[in-house]
Amino acid sequence: MKPHVAFRLVLCMLAGVSIGCVRGPLTWQRVTLNEQIAQGDVAFIKEGRTRLMDVADRLGPPDEIQAVGESLIALYHFSDGRYFRADYGWALRFVLPFMAPEMVLGGGGFGTNTFQLICDDQWVVHEHAFAWHADSSEFRFWPFGDKAQ
Amino acid sequence: MTVRQTLMSVLFIASLTQGCAFVRGTYGEDVQQGDVTTIKKGVSTRTEVASVLGAPDRIVEANGHEIHHYYQFDVKSGFILFFSRTNIQSKDVFVIFDKAGIVEELLVGKKKPPLEFQFWPFEWPSHSSPS
Repeated sequence: MKPHVAFRLVLCMLAGVSIGCVRGPLTWQRVTLNEQIAQGDVAFIKEGRTRLMDVADRLGPPDEIQAVGESLIALYHFSDGRYFRADYGWALRFVLPFMAPEMVLGGGGFGTNTFQLICDDQWVVHEHAFAWHADSSEFRFWPFGDKAQ
Repeated sequence: MTVRQTLMSVLFIASLTQGCAFVRGTYGEDVQQGDVTTIKKGVSTRTEVASVLGAPDRIVEANGHEIHHYYQFDVKSGFILFFSRTNIQSKDVFVIFDKAGIVEELLVGKKKPPLEFQFWPFEWPSHSSPS
């Protein structure tokens, strides 16, 4: 099984279990994958000189290595997910004990961040870049309507 | 406020909450640091690596190199009252073989700090992302 498939499987299972277990009136949930890598953490990388092994010594090994033509792409994944849920019908169980309908509003998002290194066949880093999610990870109190583009 | 009123208040607040839960899960086998130290660059063969680490989870071929990828996911989830937080950490080891099947490089890197049980969902990220 490929790592990203396994990762998504684990995430889906976790999200399903955790959301399924939540049955209270209010819930704030957060899911994070790996520690975040900031610009300052990778300032030591000198393109054309630093090797992937040096990067791994500082940041740990990458999560994925892909071969693309003559180059190697090393990827570090770190992600952040947030979810909010409010059951506005929860209090009705005290008034209508035989029928307690759920009136749930909520929402969230899972933002994926990636730090990418492009290396040659001698493992020397030639390019590096971050891909940050813009604002997909947030607690959403109102699920209706789309954000303005 | 009387004792009875206080008790009723506590019971009411308790009924609003959802208790607590702490859950732990892993995917894949943990590669021990001691196992990795027995692998020698320029000496160890595929067979020797396999006898120490087992079969790789993934194999990538690149520029005549064979890269064996071992990975593990560790998950800790905490849930208290209304707040829940799930932390997932991946641990990866890459063993890179040359064309003769001898270990050329080993990507292990620094050992990541142990994953924490947390339940408070609001304080991360600690670093600010670039604008």
